[in-house]
Amino acid sequence: MRRSKLNILLVAILVIVLVLWLAVPFGMALLWSLVDPSKAWSYPDLLPQKLSFVRWTEMWETTNLALAMGHSYTLAPIVAVCTLILAAPTAYAFARLDFHGKTAAQMLSLLPLVVPEFVTALFFTSLLYKLGIYAKFPAIVLGHIVLFLPYAIRILTVSFAQVRQDLIDAARDLGASPWARFSSAFLPVLKPGILAALIIVFIQSIEEFAISFVVGSPDFTTIPTILYSYLGDNFIRPNAAVVSLILVVPNIILLLIFERLLKSNGAVTVGGKG
Amino acid sequence: MRAYSPSNWKHTGVVLLCLLPGLGLIILLIGTVISMAVAQSVGYFNFSGPSEFSLIYWQKQLASPFLHRSVLYSAKISLLSSLISVGLAYMFAMWLRRPFPGSTMLGGLLKAPMMVPGLVAAFLLLNVIAFHGFVNEFLLWTNIISKPLRMQNDSFGTAVIFLQVWKQMPFALLVLIGPVQSIHNEIFDAARDLGASAWTRFRKIVLPLTLTAMQAALILVFIRAAGDFSFQVIVGPREVSSMAQYMYTVQRLYGEWNEAAVVAVVLMTMSLTGALLLAAVSQFLVTGRRR
Repeated sequence: MRRSKLNILLVAILVIVLVLWLAVPFGMALLWSLVDPSKAWSYPDLLPQKLSFVRWTEMWETTNLALAMGHSYTLAPIVAVCTLILAAPTAYAFARLDFHGKTAAQMLSLLPLVVPEFVTALFFTSLLYKLGIYAKFPAIVLGHIVLFLPYAIRILTVSFAQVRQDLIDAARDLGASPWARFSSAFLPVLKPGILAALIIVFIQSIEEFAISFVVGSPDFTTIPTILYSYLGDNFIRPNAAVVSLILVVPNIILLLIFERLLKSNGAVTVGGKG
Repeated sequence: MRAYSPSNWKHTGVVLLCLLPGLGLIILLIGTVISMAVAQSVGYFNFSGPSEFSLIYWQKQLASPFLHRSVLYSAKISLLSSLISVGLAYMFAMWLRRPFPGSTMLGGLLKAPMMVPGLVAAFLLLNVIAFHGFVNEFLLWTNIISKPLRMQNDSFGTAVIFLQVWKQMPFALLVLIGPVQSIHNEIFDAARDLGASAWTRFRKIVLPLTLTAMQAALILVFIRAAGDFSFQVIVGPREVSSMAQYMYTVQRLYGEWNEAAVVAVVLMTMSLTGALLLAAVSQFLVTGRRR
């Protein structure tokens, strides 16, 4: 009894704290992005004097934000699909094949997470210069793929492990072709994992900073590198607010879709009797 | 050991083919990148001048007070960030161990920072702690202070640690929540019946049973925090650089690839040994104490 009351109180406190640390900062970012350039928002005004979308249209028309968004949103789907395709065989081996040194192989697959991102980014660039490769887009695609392979491999390993051997055997006994076996025994179970891997890698690629910044600089911009340019030495708060919102809102929408997908598929997919 | 028959060879071939596109690509690229850094740190792969073995870059950097300061600074930030993140994650994991009304929503809210890119988080924090940010305006408005406080770029790195904890705690929670939830209630009940306090129960039951997960969380947070660049540049102290920031400055500002490579090797060594040391110490504290 006492514990449940205490819990309600604690939850209430925590919700207030989280509102303070999620809603207030985002609210302020939104307000800052709407401050009209003709009337600055400064002390002692508690709220901006004049609101408008001028900053948004200005940013769109005068900076290379549109170009950066174009880059980010072409990079991310290519990276997501390539990472998925490259991760799948390794995940299959980790989940369904027995071999010597499997644990070591699984540890090695985490290598991109252990090396600091900026080290990877800087010496990947150095490697590209040495090889005489100056095409930035494919270079960043490759960098992102390697950086996010561990996530895709991990997610798909779990999915492959859930495929039931009796379903595969049954399909084979019934004379199903390899493709029919794959689509009837594997695919339904793998689907949530495939979607999860695609969305996680997509989001990670959209917000990746180190490789896009180091490999891409100075001329190839993505949304995070644009945001960085407004946050560093020439800090322009309203512009940074606009870019922040552009970066974060699609991510949240994607994650909501992702949660829904996982929920709707979760129960049915494992298939067969318990 | 079984003798290798043709079918075994076939099996090995299939495994290798499967591992090649994923694991193979990782090892190829990250391996080359690490070798590149090590080779450049001792004078190979020069962009200008002759490429030959030389320890001059190591001598120069190891004598540099800037490197010393940034190693100590990054180690401090990573250590504090990982301890605080994992401590908080344990607190929340214990609280969420058994479901209660609102616990799902709570779990979701706690994981929300994972969706927010680091740069955006840094910007949001700036708005809150800036000279004319939310906190200062509020404190001025309530007459608690008469002049705005300077919280941005504080010399200790509090703002950086705050951001690290904000961003990394959800990861630590994700790692810890499963193992904590899988501890059976009977064990807790038995301990309670024997008169163990809440702290003793945590120390003698939860910590030993979740040791591996805790070590994983500590290692994860430590390594991520050690390589930080963007938090440091935006809200970190002005008088000291994080190691990634220092490495980048050495390369971009002074064009010194070889010396940047030295910093890179030091950074990798520091983050790996620091993380493993942290794991070893936590193992000693948890299992050593029981005996």
